[in-house]
Amino acid sequence: MFSVKRGLAPRRKSPKPIKHLSLRRYEARVGFLFLLPWLLGFLFFKAVPILAALGFSFTNFKMLEPEKTHFIGLANYANFFHDTVAGSSLFGSISYFLLSVPLEMVVAMALAAIFCSDRLRGKRIMRTLFFMPSIIPAIAIFIIMSGLTDPNTGWINRLLHLSRSTPLYTLFPVILSLWTIGPGFLIMLGAMQAVPKELYEAARVDGAGPINRFFSITLPMSSPAIFFSLVINMISSFGGVALLDRGFSYSQSLSPMESYITYQMFSFMNLGYASALAWIMFIVVMFITVLLFRSARYWVHFPEESSNEEI
Amino acid sequence: MKKSKNPRRNSSSTLTLRLWEFTGTASLTLFIWIFLIIFLSPLTYMVVTSLRSADEFRERTAPLYPAERLTYVYNGKTYQLYKVPTEDGVVHDWALVKPGLTSSLFIDPAHPENGLIDWKGSWRSLSGVYRFRIYWNNYINIWNAVDYPRFLKNTLFVVILGEIGVLCSSIAVAYGFSRFRIPGGRFLFFLLIATIVIPDSITLVPSFVIFSRVLPWNGTFYPLIVPAFFGSAIYIFLLRQNFRSIPRDLDEAAMLDGAGPLRTLVSIIIPQSIPAIVTVALLHFFNAWNELRMASLYLGTRPDLQTMAFTGQAFTTYGFTPEVLQTSAVLLMAVPLVVLFLSQRFFMQDMVVTGIEK
Repeated sequence: MFSVKRGLAPRRKSPKPIKHLSLRRYEARVGFLFLLPWLLGFLFFKAVPILAALGFSFTNFKMLEPEKTHFIGLANYANFFHDTVAGSSLFGSISYFLLSVPLEMVVAMALAAIFCSDRLRGKRIMRTLFFMPSIIPAIAIFIIMSGLTDPNTGWINRLLHLSRSTPLYTLFPVILSLWTIGPGFLIMLGAMQAVPKELYEAARVDGAGPINRFFSITLPMSSPAIFFSLVINMISSFGGVALLDRGFSYSQSLSPMESYITYQMFSFMNLGYASALAWIMFIVVMFITVLLFRSARYWVHFPEESSNEEI
Repeated sequence: MKKSKNPRRNSSSTLTLRLWEFTGTASLTLFIWIFLIIFLSPLTYMVVTSLRSADEFRERTAPLYPAERLTYVYNGKTYQLYKVPTEDGVVHDWALVKPGLTSSLFIDPAHPENGLIDWKGSWRSLSGVYRFRIYWNNYINIWNAVDYPRFLKNTLFVVILGEIGVLCSSIAVAYGFSRFRIPGGRFLFFLLIATIVIPDSITLVPSFVIFSRVLPWNGTFYPLIVPAFFGSAIYIFLLRQNFRSIPRDLDEAAMLDGAGPLRTLVSIIIPQSIPAIVTVALLHFFNAWNELRMASLYLGTRPDLQTMAFTGQAFTTYGFTPEVLQTSAVLLMAVPLVVLFLSQRFFMQDMVVTGIEK
């Protein structure tokens, strides 16, 4: 029943269409059975919570006095526009995305391009070492960075002799974003290595220099991988989990908006308002995602796959 | 590469070419290694600091590497060594016997028979004499003070059960998506991709209400383990891409032999995609090891159930000195790093392969 389409195609005009139909139905049923775990998970851990959050966001639901909960309409959303902390948290989340993701992408892409060169020696161990920081737990990074930037004993002050007033903690997000290049780097490296060598030879014959070759062959040919790692980096910059989870607790998320939602939730037990904030965040992230996917059709060269998409 | 193409090239130009290639290789490799050293310097700081003792930290002049202060025993008393410059321009390693404001008494350990030397100047401006020495006691002390075996056991319990759940369900679902024609299958797949992008904070409030109010799961491992049994969208996506690259002829052959769908999955698909499955297993291992969101929400009231990541967080909330904190960080990341290095060949290779298709 796996190859129903191909296997039965010649028999389609046979006098037994009912058999064909039941086979298709059988296939759908079995397939559905395989999808069942995810479908249930989607229902209980995604769909229901998201809708429940929407429901909560129209109420003044508080953890400590659930019996007083009643419908308050859009008041929570209106509150958001008066809450300057929420506004600046959202702004912080978006700016972290706008600053960290391009940095990660450029560094990972440059590294991947260098790793494609035959000149580089010891690639295997280097690849692992560049990947290594991507699996370090967030809490360990926090410990390392606070030690490193300590005014008295930290290396940054002792080696670089910075003045104590320098806001060293601003380095923390930069280092963190550089330390998450691992998955994107590997994915792009794989794609760049898979580019057929003949293309480069042809371009060389046509007189294209290395920079020209990179921009007109390597980048377009590996654009699906670039897009994939862009999406992954975007998700993790908003505090989501994509491929690798560093294990930020909610209150220490890199995304200030997420921390603020948690703060509203656990410090004030203000579940209604927290849900409204979460929905605002959700809409913003979804908007950015849709923009990214829309833009993909202008710069991502997907391989000829969509034609046989029918499974 | 070019020299093999032109073996009859005259020797001097071959030499130039070789020299040129060597320079290119050396400079590129050197550049990347220097970048790597800077890139990983925070980790170096962590390891080095964890090997120093608390006393060294208080000394302003202590070197950055793990070192011990040299001392000299004179007349039954222990004195610390200092680097003392004298008028003839030589710097002596002398022991400070009697510190004074404008002049101090020193003893030369090399020639104690010369007796005490009076040196003019402020001894506070002198720096100490250090010798490289690794101090392991931070590790011993932390290991004795914190019940690591129990945290390790908790973490492994969560990781292994979650691993079983996430692998079984993700493989099954990926198989369903890659091999069956299901009405609305494309829409479901679109939903799957969409769930990868959804930020966690949107489901935070309701799932907290579900796990702690509707279900009596607060203070248990269930919220950490049960969701894994429903598959993980990104793993399903990766496995589905991999399963699709397996030729269908193999399935058909198995089917002709009378194998059912489950049998085909176990005997054809899984053996063909072991590398991808191992990659997913490793990804889940790292994620589950580092996981702190669920753990901090639901295990906060149960110190006996806490995981490794939690111990790290506990260390940051008490005011420990740098060397203790860095030691705890090393212990926290030791296991994932060992796993990464043991599996690097496999893992790295397959991350690359899995990522290509999109």
